[in-house]
Amino acid sequence: MLTFVGLGLYDERSITVAGREHLRAADRAFAEFYTAKLVGTSIGDLEAHHGVDIEVRERTGVEQDPGPILDAAADGDAVFLTAGDPMISTTHVDLRLRAHDRGIDTRVVHGTTAQTAASSLTGLQNYRFGKATTLPFERAHGGTGVPDSVVETVTDNADRGLHTLVYLDIKAADDDYMTADVAADLLAAEYDQRLAVAVCQAGSSDPSVVADDLPVLADRDFGPPLHLLVLPGDLHLLERDALVELAGAPETLVANRTI
Amino acid sequence: MGRRKKIVQECERLMDEPENIRNIAIAAHVDHGKTTLTDNLLAGAGMISDETAGEQLAMDTEEDEQERGITIDAANVSMTHEYEDTNHLINLIDTPGHVDFGGDVTRAMRAVDGALVVVDAVEGAMPQTETVLRQALREGVKPALFINKVDRLISELEEGPKEMQERLTAVIRDVNDLIRGMTEEMDDIDDWTVSVEDGTVGFGSALYKWGVSMPSMQRTGMDFGDIIDLEQADKRQELHERTPLADVVLDMVCEHFPNPIDAQPMRIPRVWRGDDESELAETMRLVDEDGEVVLMVTDIGVDPHAGEIAAGRVFSGTLEKGQELYVSGTAGTNRIQSVGIYMGGEREEVEEVPAGNIAAVTGLKDAIAGSTVSSVEMTPFESIEHISEPVITKSVEAQRMDDLPKLIETLQQVSKEDPTIQIEINEDTGEHLISGQGELHLEVITQRIERNQGIPVHTGEPIVVFREAPQQQSREVEGISPNRHNRFYISIEPLPEDVVETIKLGDASMDMPELERREALMEAGLDKDTAQEVEHIHNTNILIDDTKGIQHLNETMELVIEGLEEALDDGPLAAEPVQGALIRLHDARLHEDAIHRGPAQVIPAVREAVHNSLIDAEIRLLEPIQEVRIDVPNDHMGAASGEIQGRRGRVDDMYQEGDLMVVEGVAPVEEMIGFSSDIRSATEGRASWNTENAGFQVMADNLQPDQITEIRERKGMKTELPEAINYF
Ligand SMILES: Nc1nc2c(ncn2[C@@H]2O[C@H](COP(=O)(O)OP(=O)(O)O)[C@@H](O)[C@H]2O)c(=O)[nH]1
Ligand SMILES: [Mg+2]
Repeated sequence: MLTFVGLGLYDERSITVAGREHLRAADRAFAEFYTAKLVGTSIGDLEAHHGVDIEVRERTGVEQDPGPILDAAADGDAVFLTAGDPMISTTHVDLRLRAHDRGIDTRVVHGTTAQTAASSLTGLQNYRFGKATTLPFERAHGGTGVPDSVVETVTDNADRGLHTLVYLDIKAADDDYMTADVAADLLAAEYDQRLAVAVCQAGSSDPSVVADDLPVLADRDFGPPLHLLVLPGDLHLLERDALVELAGAPETLVANRTI
Repeated sequence: MGRRKKIVQECERLMDEPENIRNIAIAAHVDHGKTTLTDNLLAGAGMISDETAGEQLAMDTEEDEQERGITIDAANVSMTHEYEDTNHLINLIDTPGHVDFGGDVTRAMRAVDGALVVVDAVEGAMPQTETVLRQALREGVKPALFINKVDRLISELEEGPKEMQERLTAVIRDVNDLIRGMTEEMDDIDDWTVSVEDGTVGFGSALYKWGVSMPSMQRTGMDFGDIIDLEQADKRQELHERTPLADVVLDMVCEHFPNPIDAQPMRIPRVWRGDDESELAETMRLVDEDGEVVLMVTDIGVDPHAGEIAAGRVFSGTLEKGQELYVSGTAGTNRIQSVGIYMGGEREEVEEVPAGNIAAVTGLKDAIAGSTVSSVEMTPFESIEHISEPVITKSVEAQRMDDLPKLIETLQQVSKEDPTIQIEINEDTGEHLISGQGELHLEVITQRIERNQGIPVHTGEPIVVFREAPQQQSREVEGISPNRHNRFYISIEPLPEDVVETIKLGDASMDMPELERREALMEAGLDKDTAQEVEHIHNTNILIDDTKGIQHLNETMELVIEGLEEALDDGPLAAEPVQGALIRLHDARLHEDAIHRGPAQVIPAVREAVHNSLIDAEIRLLEPIQEVRIDVPNDHMGAASGEIQGRRGRVDDMYQEGDLMVVEGVAPVEEMIGFSSDIRSATEGRASWNTENAGFQVMADNLQPDQITEIRERKGMKTELPEAINYF
């Protein structure tokens, strides 16, 4: 049996109770942190907290050479841990399909993910989000500024009045996480003045959520990672009120977006 | 005022009169007498004293050149000469004759408008005569012929007037055959063959400083009979005084070589692909000294005091100290610190150098040999290094740790000066690689590092550079990214030979306007649909984008190209460079989000697809080969041809020439390592020989596995090949 367990957003306590039980009962536990990270904890703390050994795999050990994980799942109960939810963003559906190929049973135990936080913390309705996109570091896409596909996604969504969730690039191997101010700066070059919401340290006891013009956000310091950015489309009345109250949005900025 | 000072002043005055300027190169097969002739011209122009000309070899300035007696770097010199009552400024470049230094010859040709080809009367036109002629004609440089060492026909071979005439006529005919063959398809050149009647052929002896031509015979009244008499009577000094070599040759130069105003309108379209309607094109054609500055750098040298010196041809405008100039291929501008001209081996600073001249400039820190330097941003000149690819590599290591930084700096300098040298710096191991045209080429470079820079080095055994090339059409191969969300569908086929050649010569490149590139590729045999979709050219490989309307592919193309280049730089057989591959991208499936189709995904997927297609196209290892010519007395001929055959070589021809036998053939470069001492001992030192790089050739199948294993072992790769390579 291969159980995919989402660790949730922030630290060793973000996992669900069901997830915790599977983790503690497993014969072997694997994990990957190459595209996301639990900022509030470490592998050591996770292991100590749950009383298990966790074998962390690099990208190649999951994508190119998943044999050992699958062997463990064929011989006993294995869990595969990821930050957030195991099937959102960096999907591990490929690993799941490979397990099925070998006749190994699988199941998924969800975790909370950035997408949830983006709605929950801002008060923007999940129904009213369009396609999500990731803003890569400039060096990661071989160009400069914002890739066309990102601009396209944001514009398409906005044309239809929808919000865009912008994931910010993570280079876990280099311990490099794009912060909301850097992202706002890149996007400001593209959009000038535009309302955006920075959602930072989601899942911690003290997340910060700030709505303002991109150039204003570009000049702020939002504290430690992880961060994400939401580019709101049209705002319903309650969405507007939530942004003002929960994210400190200047009234003038939200007024002209309200429908 | 010293004499030298006077000459400099006269040169400065003449620089402003392009009608009276001649920019020329002297080029020849090794040992045919270029350097001796050049010294004579300098002496004739009063630049060095008459007595020392011929012994002093003013042009061979580097110690190793004087020792080896061959010219390695092209050197520059200016002189004045009075012709038909008008003083002329002659800017002259002496070029190396050895094939290993071919890059220097090509670069020198870019700077000049006329080439005086020197041929030894006894040996006749030789392989490098052909090479230098080709290099001159490609650049639109007009040839004239000087047949040297005529004294040997008289004194050594004791030929009479009739035999002599036959021999000289044969030399002229051979040279003209070459010129005709090479210019046949050049629309802008109608007839550049040389003839005695026109005065474009001179004869004489550079060693004994006499010379004749049709016009000189008319002027002095000296005919061949008189010359034979004086030479036989050993009255060479009288011969020199009555018909001095320098006058004959320099008159020929002034009379028959075009001045910049006549030359540039024809040469600019040949060497520059920019907009011919532009103002810049106009000022270059007109040699306008008031136009924007355009300098083509042909040589970089180092002066112990002034530092790096860039030499080159000013095609437009006037160079002055303090100018801020753009250097092609680099960002920003460089500030000119000084401008000068060359007098012998030395540089003389002057106020300014106007269009039509050859200048020496300091301050251009970003320039390399081949750079275009200009006061406005412009389309750079055609690259000049099309003719030679490196075939041999050697590792160099500093003996003392302390020398490491200096060695790296020197190596970088070396590759700036000579772009036919490639260097690979490895700061981790300290074992750097230099690649060049031949064993001698690398030997000379390492000796310079040791002697001029005082850095003792260890060098490795010379290693031959191989290539890998597809042999047939592959099927369509899928490359899957590690996260399996991205897929690329690629097939590979061999490029037609002519297309490869066209790319190698720089006649089709990504730097040129699309339309021109397409036409060049179609002319070489690529079909129209393919030529239209060229996305990238890497070395001699072409990527064709056959996809239609795939979302996000635009944004991913950079990464596709990166993966492609990685795959081509390190081929699947032995990580040697791939050549002659036509890569078609048929289709691609991409992840919606940019982060899931980043470098970590796309590069390995493309690399895998390219390698698997190459394997499906039955990729083979190619090795560099050389044409070999050996001149040897009859009784050593067997030994000489044995030296070629014993090296996996092939003898193509053996024939008598004068009292010597000529053996011609080809052999792999790898086997030619050490040839020089082997042939010497096999023929008791009686053979003279010459080699010329002749491209790459597929190795026989029965040799491939061992050679591949050997390379893989040397590179520390695992020796088993991918399973799919099962066709040897
Ligand atoms: N007999 C004779 N020897 C010459 C003549 N010109 C050059 N040499 C000799 O040929 C050799 C090569 O000359 P050099 O000028 O170095 O040839 P390069 O390699 O073309 O520069 C030297 O030993 C010269 O002395 C000539 O006119 N007559
Ligand atoms: Mg010489």
